[in-house]
Amino acid sequence: MSASGTGPGPRPARRTVLGGAAAAAAGFALAGCGGSEYGEGEPKGRKKGEKITLTFWSWVPGIDQPVALWNSKNPDVRIELEQVSAVNGAQYAKMHAAVKAGNPPDLGQVEYPIVPSFLLDDGLLDLTKYGAAGVKSKFEGWQWQQSVFGDAVFAIPQASGPMGLFLRQDLFDRWEIETPATWDEYEAAAKAIRRKGAWIETFSATNGNRFAGLAWQAGARWFAVDGDTWTVSIDDEPTRRVADYWEALVRQKLIKTVPDRQSVWYKDIQTGAIPAWVGASWGDALLVGNAPKTAGKWRVAPLPQWKKGENASANWGGSTTAVFRGTQYPQDAMDFAVWLNTDPESVKLLIDGGYGWPSAVSGWTDADMENHKEFFGGQDYSKVFQEAGKAVDTSWQWGPATDTLYQRFGDAFTAVLTGGGSFRSVLAKVQRQTVDDLRNKGLKVAAG
Amino acid sequence: MRRPTRGEIRNARAASGFLLPFAALFLLCFVAPIAYALYTSLLKVERSGPLGLGGGAHEVFTGLDNYAQALQDPTFTAGFGRVLLFGLVQVPLMIVLATALALLLEAASARWVGFFRTAFFLPYGVPGVIASILWGFLYVPGISPFVEMAGSVGWDVDFLSRSSVLWAIANIVTWQYAGYNMLVLIAQLKSVPVELYEAARIDGANAWQVARHIKLPLIRPALVLTTVFSIIGTLQLFAEPLVLQPLTNSIDSGYTPNLNAYNEAFKSNNQNVAAAEAVLLALVACALSFGFLRVVGRRGKDGA
Repeated sequence: MSASGTGPGPRPARRTVLGGAAAAAAGFALAGCGGSEYGEGEPKGRKKGEKITLTFWSWVPGIDQPVALWNSKNPDVRIELEQVSAVNGAQYAKMHAAVKAGNPPDLGQVEYPIVPSFLLDDGLLDLTKYGAAGVKSKFEGWQWQQSVFGDAVFAIPQASGPMGLFLRQDLFDRWEIETPATWDEYEAAAKAIRRKGAWIETFSATNGNRFAGLAWQAGARWFAVDGDTWTVSIDDEPTRRVADYWEALVRQKLIKTVPDRQSVWYKDIQTGAIPAWVGASWGDALLVGNAPKTAGKWRVAPLPQWKKGENASANWGGSTTAVFRGTQYPQDAMDFAVWLNTDPESVKLLIDGGYGWPSAVSGWTDADMENHKEFFGGQDYSKVFQEAGKAVDTSWQWGPATDTLYQRFGDAFTAVLTGGGSFRSVLAKVQRQTVDDLRNKGLKVAAG
Repeated sequence: MRRPTRGEIRNARAASGFLLPFAALFLLCFVAPIAYALYTSLLKVERSGPLGLGGGAHEVFTGLDNYAQALQDPTFTAGFGRVLLFGLVQVPLMIVLATALALLLEAASARWVGFFRTAFFLPYGVPGVIASILWGFLYVPGISPFVEMAGSVGWDVDFLSRSSVLWAIANIVTWQYAGYNMLVLIAQLKSVPVELYEAARIDGANAWQVARHIKLPLIRPALVLTTVFSIIGTLQLFAEPLVLQPLTNSIDSGYTPNLNAYNEAFKSNNQNVAAAEAVLLALVACALSFGFLRVVGRRGKDGA
């Protein structure tokens, strides 16, 4: 998803980004040999004293540290971390191929929006048998619910990504622009910034993840399940409002249309050619890592609102640690997943790496989240995200084929930005395609 | 009917012994995957419940539905149009360039032949993905020295815009394969008997006439070969658009048929439709290569 947003964590340094595509190409080699049946019957489980190794695919920066900590504490259950590329959804391509080939890893990093698509594959293990109910209270309720389908629990929550507005306070001050509190003010700020020769932002065609977040904030509900029928409502009023708004910015040439979190964008945020970013809590580490020379000049503001005085936010990204079906040691895998995301030492290391906003309800303090305070001029910026996290409407539900959905958005926006047509036509098109996509996956669908 | 002699039987046995490794690998690595793709392309998954949970998913025979779905996907068909346009322009250009280089290096007056031959061939040694990354950095505005240079003289150029990105890719492909094709042509040039050149010189032919009337007609088989390979390579374009994709907003998920099939298989996790697309791609590649061979074959006979 890279350009389209890869949850908390994926902020490869600029130079590794292209390399990721190479990995994607290499992943292609995984194709071919098929057969998705795992050996029937129960996984064998670990005998007392037996030494085992579990593989874990992840791309979160710095996740090697908690894994190393676990390995030093649990010599019997060694976790072998494999770093996978998160560019353009390459990590999920790899996981889907591995599931199809019958040799998935034991554990994997799977974002909330993608969990359902692995269920279609029958790729994830139901954790209820391994004591999921007992650890439920350790996590934020709504994030826990994101991986609950029916009575089954399919993943352990790791982090979320409440959204916020990053901005270069020094430039906003110099240009005498107020921090925008509403989207109207944001547009005014965009005009003022354009007059100074810079661009407030970029609208990346391929970033379906962020577009979903913006629609989420506006009150859209793209997917719902009624009985065994999916209702798809991508072309609804709130989403149209968001589409119209960003189209106006693009048509007035107030924002760029380059891909975000790619070389050009990284350069722009370093030089101040782009002084703001509608991002998410995990974006702090991304800015720190990629624009070190702008330290002290950034601030975080709440996401601009549709109506003054409102307080609505949304989630961009957010990850789980999932256990794949086919693991021979489900209990150990589950124990590691829970430890990774709740143990105070582990959570501290993950926060330092910049994995996002912890899903664990305890074991960390607000102060832990302030690890880039100097970069943000001493601002208690994590408070902003904490408030944003509370303002996320948690009834949002992801559909069963989010990777395809992002791709549809990417293609449709690409066509509109380079050819012509309205953003509303994008919504109509993606709505139509998504209904077809779900139907082609053998699911029951209704258009909302 | 004559009974085979013992020697003949032994020969046949030896032959089959030698053929066995090839046949086994051919079946395993070539025929079997194709058969599997064909088989997969005729199936589709049916699910029950909102997520097909509880073992509700199973594959059923669906005939040619996947093919119909692929052909109705405008992105997929647009990808075909794109690679055909690409092939029409890039293949002749590259073959002409490769031929020109080969003729120059094989001309009697050429100097430092070894050095130039290696230099032209070198890009072929760079894997396609790496080449695309290198060129990607040379194309991306804000990083590319070319864009900066052009900008400093007031020329606002964007190699990765919708209208130019296809030719940016053509440039990468040409850079990579012109030297390789040149080498194939040189190999064939080397096999031209020297007496022909001598005879031509005695007849008073100049270098241009030698190239036009002796070298070009005699390397015709190599030209046909390189062109067919290039046509197939064009249809299979994959790594270059995949690598450039994150750098620009102008390459969509179905930019080339191969990319479309890849995304269908691994992003959308829809192997059945992807298999159908792969089969369609193979059919078009066959039709075009054999079509080209027929056309040049007929003309070859007319000329003879």
